[in-house]
Amino acid sequence: MDYSNLRRQAASMKRGLFDQGYLDEQFRQVEDLQDEASPNFVEEVVVLFFKDSAKLMSNLEQALEKYPRDFNRWDAYMQQLKGSCSSIGASRMKIECLSFRDNCGQGNVEGCMGSLQKLKREHALLRQKLESYFQLLRQAGPAGAATRPVM
Amino acid sequence: MAPPEEAGGGEFPVGMKVLVVDDDPTCLAVLKQMLVQCRYDATTCSQSTRALSMLRENRRGFDVIISDVHMPDMDGFRLLELVGLEMDLPVIMMSADSRTDIVMKGIKHGACDYLIKPVRMEELKNIWQHVVRKKFSGNKEHEHSGSLDDTDRNRPANNDNEYASSINDGADDSWKSQKKKRDKEEDDSELESGDPSNSSKKPRVVWSVELHQQFVNAVNHLGIDKAVPKKILELMNVPGLTRENVASHLQKFRLYLKRIAQHHAGITNPYCTPASSAQVASLGGLDFQALAASGQIPPQALAALQDELLGRTTTSMVLPGRDQSSLRLAAVKGNKPQGEREIAFGQPIFKCQNNSYGAFPQSSPTVGRLPSFSAWPNNKLGMADSTSTLGNVNNSQNSNIVLHELQQQPDTMLSGTLHALDVKPSGIAMPSQSLNTFPASEGLSPNQSGFLTTIPPSMKPEPALPNSQQSNNLLGGIDLINQASTSQPFSNSHGGNLPGLMNHNSNVMPSQGISNFQTGNIPYLVNNSSIGVGSKPPGVLKTESTDSLNQSFGYICGSSPMDSGLLSSQPRNAQFGFLQSPNDVTGGWSLQNVDNYRNTIGPSHPVSSSSSFQSSNVALGKLPDQGRGKNLGFVGKGTCIPNRFAVDEVESPTNSLSHSIGSSGDIPDIFGFSGQM
Repeated sequence: MDYSNLRRQAASMKRGLFDQGYLDEQFRQVEDLQDEASPNFVEEVVVLFFKDSAKLMSNLEQALEKYPRDFNRWDAYMQQLKGSCSSIGASRMKIECLSFRDNCGQGNVEGCMGSLQKLKREHALLRQKLESYFQLLRQAGPAGAATRPVM
Repeated sequence: MAPPEEAGGGEFPVGMKVLVVDDDPTCLAVLKQMLVQCRYDATTCSQSTRALSMLRENRRGFDVIISDVHMPDMDGFRLLELVGLEMDLPVIMMSADSRTDIVMKGIKHGACDYLIKPVRMEELKNIWQHVVRKKFSGNKEHEHSGSLDDTDRNRPANNDNEYASSINDGADDSWKSQKKKRDKEEDDSELESGDPSNSSKKPRVVWSVELHQQFVNAVNHLGIDKAVPKKILELMNVPGLTRENVASHLQKFRLYLKRIAQHHAGITNPYCTPASSAQVASLGGLDFQALAASGQIPPQALAALQDELLGRTTTSMVLPGRDQSSLRLAAVKGNKPQGEREIAFGQPIFKCQNNSYGAFPQSSPTVGRLPSFSAWPNNKLGMADSTSTLGNVNNSQNSNIVLHELQQQPDTMLSGTLHALDVKPSGIAMPSQSLNTFPASEGLSPNQSGFLTTIPPSMKPEPALPNSQQSNNLLGGIDLINQASTSQPFSNSHGGNLPGLMNHNSNVMPSQGISNFQTGNIPYLVNNSSIGVGSKPPGVLKTESTDSLNQSFGYICGSSPMDSGLLSSQPRNAQFGFLQSPNDVTGGWSLQNVDNYRNTIGPSHPVSSSSSFQSSNVALGKLPDQGRGKNLGFVGKGTCIPNRFAVDEVESPTNSLSHSIGSSGDIPDIFGFSGQM
């Protein structure tokens, strides 16, 4: 298997994610945290993030219905979500979070609904891309693969 | 947590124990990994309540806490306050919210730092500075009380017992326990020679209950708006007290009041009974809210106070009269494993919110107990709501526990022992006045109508603490403790005193104003005395009261940045400072409690011992326990004039007891009480 090639592909994919604004510097910080003691740290955190954020978004959606015009509440939910996004560097998602909060601040229900939908889209997109990325990484082999002959 | 020594004892930040609290699992995971990479010992927790109980159980188990602001079960600020009050550990707030007003709020609540998410590694690398900073500043403050602390600290083999300087200990224990001890010892020895660490010309002022009571009186007299340090100083007329001391204390006090007000307004304390609130109001315009809140003195506060009181005082029981008691206490403490504090009112309090009145070490039981503080005052201490909740629950528990422990003590201390407990080295032990009189006026002069008034020796405001009744019990219990130590009749306090004692602490606390206590002295004190606790059996009270006493004392010292620092660090010292006026003592702070106690105590207190005590305290008259109340000790870390007696003067003349008690020599026996009583 051409590990090096796969690795290159993975690297390029990642670069793309950064360039397109899906990810930001924080993601690199998270990657830096991965080490021998926690070899799959990044993936674990990402998985955790998606699961948690999906739940938060679902709660928020329910809240939008159950507590109409309760901007404070909605904002609180979103605050949480924003914190999560920023922790792993999910940049585009974070932008949508901010937009949602702005809408809350303005009392714009429609705006909030719209922001939430966009957020869900970004969430799905990022998830898909990162999943491909990790899959590629896995194919590219563990770090040890680096020691294998590249050719 | 593994003792710090193991964790790279030499390399300072390595192994530093960090507790991260955040309901966001992603962030928690990332932070934990970062901390691990910084070579810290990280523990994560997604709920504030759980974090709080972890902290209470093992106060020394952590060096620093990082907490998110927005959390579902408890507001991050509340946790911040509670931790500050109870454990006096550095807390770093964190949030994705970078709005200045929120950040400001965090700082005002005592956060050491405020991180904006996403948190970067570089920021985490520096958090150890906060720990060190706190420790050192705490050390300084404790200089005076250092000797006391040291004794206490060194004595208890474990760190737990070291709570004494609560401030320092908290952090220190974790990983510099050894170093700390060494430092302490050095400090102690240097104390006499003029604290090296204390660059200030004066030895740290320990805001004992009495001293605080005087302070409150002065402030009340002038009117909170017009109270300027210079005038306050003049009114107080305390030799050796500087304008700076007063100024910083005033600042804390104001913050405390504000907090109480906020709490009062914002927190619906289930425990707070309207009555108590009302009482508070009646106390003095000063800060009813605080008082009311104090009803609830967050257990932490009380604990802290008590801790201080106890921890510190072990030797130097502030109570002038108490001296004996305190000695006893000390002795008791020493003997008892937990005991260090046995009476530990204060101590455990500090540690465990629960009043673990028992010395910290044992505080474990107390751990649960502390919360009782809050219960105690019912008044919403304003302090964290959660606290109150906890307190309430615990109160009963604690008080029982406390009493239990108290009972162990040979004396019937309960009744009077409380005093002993209070003895906490109120550092300042303002001479004479309270010391002898110890009585209720502990620290708080009954006159204090305003702020301290809450605890007026006469404890009128019983109502303030709805729980006061309970507190009575506590006091009773506490008194017992005192008795044990000082053989002071304090127990009377219980009759009024004991509870008072309890109250003291609690009472004192609230009035402390020290921001920590905000609740208006009493809350804290109350806790001690378990006033808030609810009618705990006298025996039980002990712990509570002690705490309260401690609390009060702790408060007095106020060394800490108002919050818990006050309580914890100083309790010992602090208390007595105020105690001066035995009558007042009831811890000016605790007035509330004391009153509560007193009120309840008197009549209701079953604590028998109190009766005897009462007589002694009589002077206090006002606060049966008031002596305890003295604890007022602003306990805050602030400056504590080495007030040995600070402790429960509650009952009355006993104050002097507490006073004298003192400090096993650690605290400069200003009053020369040490050994008295």
